Amino acid sequence: MSIEIKNLEHVYSAGTPFEHKALNGINLSIPEGKVTAVIGQTGSGKSTLVQHLNGLLLPTAGSVDIAGHHIESGSKPKNLKSLRKDVGLVFQFPEYQLFEETIEKDIAFGPKNFGDTPEQAAEKAKNIITKVGLDESYLDRSPFELSGGQKRRVAIAGILVQDPSILVLDEPAAGLDPQGAQEMMSLFMNLNKEQNKTIILVSHDMEHVLKYCDEVVVLENGNVKIQTDVKEFFKHPEWMRDIGINPPGIVQLKEQLTAKGYDIDPDIFDLEELAGQLKGQVA
Amino acid sequence: MRNIALGRYMPLKSIVNDMDPRAKLVILFVLMIAIFIPAGFWGYLPIALFILAALKLSKLSISFAMRSVKPMLFMMFFLTVINVLVVKTGVLWFQLGWFTIYSDAVIQTAYIIIRLTLMIILTTILTATTKPLDLTLGIEKLLKPLEAVGVPAHIVAMMISIALRFIPTLIEETQRIMNAQASRGVDLENGTLKEKITAVLALIVPLFVSAFDRADQLANAMEARGYDPNKTRTRYKTLKMANADYAGMFLAVAVLLLNIVLWKTGL
Repeated sequence: MSIEIKNLEHVYSAGTPFEHKALNGINLSIPEGKVTAVIGQTGSGKSTLVQHLNGLLLPTAGSVDIAGHHIESGSKPKNLKSLRKDVGLVFQFPEYQLFEETIEKDIAFGPKNFGDTPEQAAEKAKNIITKVGLDESYLDRSPFELSGGQKRRVAIAGILVQDPSILVLDEPAAGLDPQGAQEMMSLFMNLNKEQNKTIILVSHDMEHVLKYCDEVVVLENGNVKIQTDVKEFFKHPEWMRDIGINPPGIVQLKEQLTAKGYDIDPDIFDLEELAGQLKGQVA
Repeated sequence: MRNIALGRYMPLKSIVNDMDPRAKLVILFVLMIAIFIPAGFWGYLPIALFILAALKLSKLSISFAMRSVKPMLFMMFFLTVINVLVVKTGVLWFQLGWFTIYSDAVIQTAYIIIRLTLMIILTTILTATTKPLDLTLGIEKLLKPLEAVGVPAHIVAMMISIALRFIPTLIEETQRIMNAQASRGVDLENGTLKEKITAVLALIVPLFVSAFDRADQLANAMEARGYDPNKTRTRYKTLKMANADYAGMFLAVAVLLLNIVLWKTGL
């Protein structure tokens, strides 16, 4: 099974002077159990696309098949709640969605909405909080007295606690310090490896895309410009420059070395391996 | 959420768009007084004609004007019900058991609805043809003479312009938080009353937190750039009245005088 998106179109404010077509007939097949990056410039339709994945936006035309749910234009999806439970969506700056008095209550909010008893939800909150790198002593504290990074962890725990099979992340590491960003990303990668969760990552950070993702989807003006596996993508730095994104350091380094006449294997994306290959060529 | 006609600036090219915001504010103020002069139903004719002309000149459609009244329909309906139930004077027009409708109730309701509609359309024309910044500049200039008696004209104008500036931001923010909470299983449409109250809390609390955050950041940013409301400052944009402005104000005053004459002579 994979996520199948067929001829997906979305028009905002249809029939007003502010009408705007954000998605232009998108066809995508996103493999399950893998990490797929969605990249593109501001206004390329990334946010619109991800909001279709859990039914926050409904297609103007076309259809989405995801985790056993079928969403089609013109009809309201039947089981919206279970769709939203199965597809966890972490918005950009999720710390702004915290509202409860205690962290425990805030994390338990989702499960309770999806039908758990308060006790079950509290139990789940207790189990999940350690997963995001905070200990149980935090449960009774107010989310508003935490630092920005800690708030983000609590908010993400609030989504993970729903145990979604597909996790959609919109810039989960934006605004975190490098260490925090790395911890956050490894948390998601563990979920992918250990529990085989499908991850869709919207990101501007090419280092993260190179390091963590299997597939890359490039959006431009509401169209899919490129869909390919991550290695193939990073063999073409010009694709990134086309959409105004700087290639990651290692790709730039390879480019410069090749320009100097060194013979570099295009499949290498690891600094150690690159050094190994160069060793033979430097007299 | 995004289709609110009330209070939205429409970037059209028209005579009314180019008018001085002070003139437009004065016209609005004068016509508001005219609307409240009890000159009978005929008194609304000149005002309505003035509004129609203004709509025409500002290239706004009548349907746009009617759309701006739409949010008030519920209130108008509510007023009608209350009036019919409460006002029991005048001629009895209708009776069905205990349910009665008297002429005064209908006439009074009609007055209120006409007044409300005219006021809303007038305000909509003003906001649709005037950029928020020009509007606040106009307010500031009009309030300027009152500074002598202690009205902080600049501070009031600055507060209005900041408030206006943040309306779209807050709408966007609300939408964002609604989406985030919907992803956590909040259902604003269905559910019991208790669930709905929690759902609203889940929206209001984050909205307040981020609004206060923003206010704090804005205040700091303004202070960091040396903002002092009590300093005198020059303007990049200076306002100048033109013939259209004088003509508009003259007509508005004429409408007001006409209504006063109608009222005093009891026609």
